[in-house]
Amino acid sequence: MANLEKIQLVLDHKFDQKTGRHFINDTQIVFHCHHFTTLYTQLAIDAGKTALLANVAEENFLKILTDYYKQHGIESLDDKIEIACQYYSAIGLGTLEVCFIGKYSGEVKSANSHIEMGWIKKWSKYDKSVNYIGCGYVAAMFSAIFDNPLNSFHVEETKSIVKGDEYTMFKVVKN
Amino acid sequence: MAINREKIIEDMSKIQVVGDKNGIIDGFGVFVNQLPSDFWIGFSEKLVGSVDNEIIDATEALLVNAAQECGYHTGYGIITCEEWKAVVQPMVENVEDVLHGAFAILTAWGWANSEIVELIPGEKLVVRAHDYYEADVVMKGKSSMFKAYMVKGICAAFMALAYSGEYSVKGEKVNDFTCKQTKGIECGDAYGEFIVLKA
Repeated sequence: MANLEKIQLVLDHKFDQKTGRHFINDTQIVFHCHHFTTLYTQLAIDAGKTALLANVAEENFLKILTDYYKQHGIESLDDKIEIACQYYSAIGLGTLEVCFIGKYSGEVKSANSHIEMGWIKKWSKYDKSVNYIGCGYVAAMFSAIFDNPLNSFHVEETKSIVKGDEYTMFKVVKN
Repeated sequence: MAINREKIIEDMSKIQVVGDKNGIIDGFGVFVNQLPSDFWIGFSEKLVGSVDNEIIDATEALLVNAAQECGYHTGYGIITCEEWKAVVQPMVENVEDVLHGAFAILTAWGWANSEIVELIPGEKLVVRAHDYYEADVVMKGKSSMFKAYMVKGICAAFMALAYSGEYSVKGEKVNDFTCKQTKGIECGDAYGEFIVLKA
């Protein structure tokens, strides 16, 4: 009989008293708020650097997910997806639900989003999609799952909470 | 001064947060995230390094502004939260104590290991940061440019919270003070130094 229990993400949180730095699973993290994320996103939009914002997110999360899979011996597709979605939620970015995933494409739905709910709370709705950090995370997730290098997938939002849709949909295509 | 900085850091550094069933961390009046520090410095460093020379100053000012708004709103959430009431409030006798407590929390939450070294109420604040993640952009050698945009914004925001009257959700007072970085670990100094004055 198949084991239907979902794998559980392990979070090892440490604080270095000497330097005042926090770590989750050996990656240094820092608490910030939606004002910070939305203003960085606005700055990226104004400067024409949204691809940079997504790319830096992808770079960071690809390493985090790849290291996690390796250290915890995560090999199955289901487990890799589950861990990536749980990590996204654990760090406060919202929820991800994989509608479909393949080596060349995919669709990922986000019904809750730190950046978009934060944007609406700060400024109200917007006529353009804004979740570039989420795009970067989803690109990292696909690359980590299929053991591909950085920049292997292009991700864009085809629906967006901040634009008034019920959920955000990330469309993924391999480059 | 009644503030026990070490106790605040000890107690407040133990706070661990995780997203709720919707993956949202709703606390201190804001949505909180815990992204890698390398993400923040990676973006700011690549952004500043990629814009035309004539708009570097404006770009840096916007990075500081992001932290200033963050510091003002989240700072208010911190000094009114239950954890503050339990740990810090019993030590507070005046506004200056609130500021000293806020910088202890800045340390406890991983923004910067920082403390006040000079304070003229309502006029001037000098902060020394012995460690801060923004200095990590330099791994060897010295940068010719200061990089602590986040610490600058937070320092200015905390002065506005302390001395610009009642907190405003709209943040009209958020820019009442301005901060200048005068020393930086990333520039080879032993610590970062931040001077806040009225704007």
